Amino acid sequence: MRAPARMVLALAALGAAACGGGRGLYYWNGYDVALYQHYRNPQDHEAFVAALVTTVREADERGLRVPPGVSAELGYALFEEGRAGEAVPWFDRERREWPESKVLMEKMIRNATQRAAQQPPSAASTTGPAGAATQGGGK
Amino acid sequence: MSRRILATAAAATLLACATSQKDHSALMAAQVRSILVVPVMNRSVDVTAPDYFLSTVPVPIAERGYYVFPVNLVKRLLEDDGLADPGLVHAADTARLASIFGADAVLYVTIERWDARWILLSTKVTVEFSYVLRDGKTGATLWAEHQTIQYQSNDGGGGLIGAVINAAVTRAAPNYMPLARQANAKALAYPGPGFPAGPHHPLHGNDWSPPGGVVAVAPTPAAPATTAPVPNAATPSAAAERKPELVPASK
Repeated sequence: MRAPARMVLALAALGAAACGGGRGLYYWNGYDVALYQHYRNPQDHEAFVAALVTTVREADERGLRVPPGVSAELGYALFEEGRAGEAVPWFDRERREWPESKVLMEKMIRNATQRAAQQPPSAASTTGPAGAATQGGGK
Repeated sequence: MSRRILATAAAATLLACATSQKDHSALMAAQVRSILVVPVMNRSVDVTAPDYFLSTVPVPIAERGYYVFPVNLVKRLLEDDGLADPGLVHAADTARLASIFGADAVLYVTIERWDARWILLSTKVTVEFSYVLRDGKTGATLWAEHQTIQYQSNDGGGGLIGAVINAAVTRAAPNYMPLARQANAKALAYPGPGFPAGPHHPLHGNDWSPPGGVVAVAPTPAAPATTAPVPNAATPSAAAERKPELVPASK
């Protein structure tokens, strides 16, 4: 009784995966889960940034495509932490990889550049994830 | 007996994605490349539902080959602009909204239901959503869809079915997310009610032909279907269906 039931289940999963549009174009690495966690626990902003950084870095390492919106989301998460200068390369990456984002990303780059100019250079820059994020964005 | 339930559920899952009679002409004529997903409107009593649900929307749309604007960034910008209430966003002029972000189309999602009812020993969880995609230039409706997913646990089952239940529902705090993902998957499935392949999908231009063409469709089943939750729906395997030829495209 167990085996056939399991087969039916597997079949159902397969069917759902097949009609779910196939999660195959991009390296998501649980982007939806990271967003969900961010809304569940907004205080843990660092974790949200870290999840996005990991996604982009691992996609790059594996030669997979970073999904639409993820670089921009990372840029904005940094911007919200007061790291406006570090946000710019991410907005720029989104714009380069996804021409559809051009209008929005140009606004974001303008805002972040302005904000960064107003901030004293040492105010936001810290060790840790900051360095990692800049590294990835420079590419 | 439990096996029959499973089999029915499996059949429903399989059928659900193969059947639809939706006319995609308007959507295809608009040649949408980018979709702005605005914050979710909530008609349920659960105040946490809209944000949680929002997190499930971008992945399945992007995987259909469309550019999806960063949903959290968009949400925050709208909030900064005094549009913290999704009701205001949904009521705002679509063309104006789309032009601010440079979007070809705007997707409005509304939570109609997001609740759990306890009846003796079983829990019945229901999610119900409506989806409307509007043209970013004209505001015309390009596509609309409606999904209800209902799940009822049955403590008499045990064994395998018990495990399935636990994947989607715990009695103390029902986990709506697998149901929400399943609703999106069904709404966006193509062939089916969802979007034909967008410009970033390898099948773009090859999986849809105008009405009268050869794309065969079966009759639509009665709207709300009850299906079993898919195990591991929360952890998509990106590597499963990779299309290697797409990788170097943007670099």
